[in-house]
Amino acid sequence: MKVLRVKPWTIAAFVGPGLLLYVCLVFVPILVSVYNGMFDWNGIGASEWAGFANFHKMLFNDKVFWPAVNHTLQMAILSLVIQLPVALFVAILISRHVRRANFLVTSYFLPVILSVVVIGQLWKTILNPASQGGMINQILDKIGLHAWTHSWLTEPKYAMYSIILVGLWQYLGYHVLIQFTGIQNIPADIYEAARIDGADGFKADRYITVPMIVPIFKISVVLSFIGSLQSFDRILVMTAGGPAHATEVLASHMYYQSFLSLKYGYGSAIACFLVVFSLAATVVVNLVFNQLEKRYT
Amino acid sequence: MSQTAVASAQQTTAANRRRFSVSRILIYALLAILFVTQLYPLLWLVIYSFKTNEEILSGSFFSLPASWQWVNYENALGGGSYWKYLGNSVIVTAVTIAAVIVLSGMVAFAISRFRWKYGQYVLLLFLVGMMIPLQSTLLPLMLMFKHIDILNTRWSIILPYIAFQTPISVFILAGFFQTFPNEIEESAIVDGAGVWRIFTRIILPVSVPPVVTVCILTFINIWNEYVLAATFISSERLKTLPFGVYSFVSQYSVNYGAIGAFLVLGALPVVIVYFLLAEKITKGMVAGAVKG
Repeated sequence: MKVLRVKPWTIAAFVGPGLLLYVCLVFVPILVSVYNGMFDWNGIGASEWAGFANFHKMLFNDKVFWPAVNHTLQMAILSLVIQLPVALFVAILISRHVRRANFLVTSYFLPVILSVVVIGQLWKTILNPASQGGMINQILDKIGLHAWTHSWLTEPKYAMYSIILVGLWQYLGYHVLIQFTGIQNIPADIYEAARIDGADGFKADRYITVPMIVPIFKISVVLSFIGSLQSFDRILVMTAGGPAHATEVLASHMYYQSFLSLKYGYGSAIACFLVVFSLAATVVVNLVFNQLEKRYT
Repeated sequence: MSQTAVASAQQTTAANRRRFSVSRILIYALLAILFVTQLYPLLWLVIYSFKTNEEILSGSFFSLPASWQWVNYENALGGGSYWKYLGNSVIVTAVTIAAVIVLSGMVAFAISRFRWKYGQYVLLLFLVGMMIPLQSTLLPLMLMFKHIDILNTRWSIILPYIAFQTPISVFILAGFFQTFPNEIEESAIVDGAGVWRIFTRIILPVSVPPVVTVCILTFINIWNEYVLAATFISSERLKTLPFGVYSFVSQYSVNYGAIGAFLVLGALPVVIVYFLLAEKITKGMVAGAVKG
């Protein structure tokens, strides 16, 4: 039982400043968004009551909206299904075969701490056409695969995948680190016991590492999934949603509608959708993992 | 824990050495390839930043520059905007970190140590907030800030930074504060110490590890933040480093070498910090992820 009996004023003094700032700058804006979503407004003139027209337009009359939702999901799901299994595999290999594992994990992690602006510009340079110094195209040219060279970020067919690739590259190290730490925390005697029972090597991984790492894996899933739903700074820096909206995601669509086209009401409507979308995704991920954890533990 | 893990790793390596040497070579090859793909782009950028435009465009992606073009760095540093951006980033990040520690420390202390009915509800409120994407608040925040006339000041980015770092920090700190035995406060009360004194003199000094974690998470997130800064700041003299790098790149779009140099300079501060504190940073980021 907690022992500090304090006056209500003391509680208010301790909780008040942090909570107030937080509620005013995180919750109030969401409510303001819902309210603004009901108006037609360009920020300067008078706003006009629009009811649910903005939401209706967003769902049924916006040629960019559903492709943007699609790209958002594409980014989230591809990061999930490519990045996490690779990260888990690498984490298992490192913890099993490498003596000075920390050096390797720390090196893989380096891209994670760099700003999206630096990463985005770096990869823009790498993906440029060879005539502008792009590394990938220059390599393809050198090894005689000129036919494979592309202007990766300006051809609609490849732009989204290029963006996803950069995300995979930047955050792989994060997931390797998280899962490596998870594996290190599995008690060694479990492996001992399994070896006596004849389970060793990858067999031990199949029956011990994988089930025991489910809770940590969940953290990776949430980070990767929610992270890609929300990450549009990379798109802002690398393609600005182009070419022809081929890399537009929900957040970038919201951003350009609000700050470029100055459709404040419409931008707010998309922002509301984004909040609901993120909350729903979190709930779904949690439900799925509750089932998994029940099955394995 | 780490000792047993090392012991088991050694035993398994010993066992494996006897059996699969071909697969071991494959494994090392894979890890080495990954090492190259993760780090070579960064090294490539450093080399790139020392080349002339002709060398960059000529297609010799692998070669070193004929002569190292320090002039690229002179161009990047010319005018002193780099130092200005760097200074702004230091100010913004430092103020945010200090405020986050004090504010979330107080909230976490109240939630975990006060005899108080609503603590868990406050914690729940913070939990919900962690799932709200920052960018969905951009537009309403801009309108609010315009209204109270703080748009395009440092406060317009510092305040939301604090607000968005608070939930995770409260979680980390409250989790740690809960582990203290009640005797700490009991004896402090007997000695006549007030609540504020207990918090600042007894609790905070023994909470260095979680406070370091909070510092690291806040530093990495805020130092690199771009979208909010680019939306709320418009004057050149207030730009933070990521925004500054972006402006420089769009301004000098044909001077490839200078752009490369500016990107290297933009990455340098955080890379230096990482070299000095790699272990603390990776631990902190894992702790942040696990709590989140």
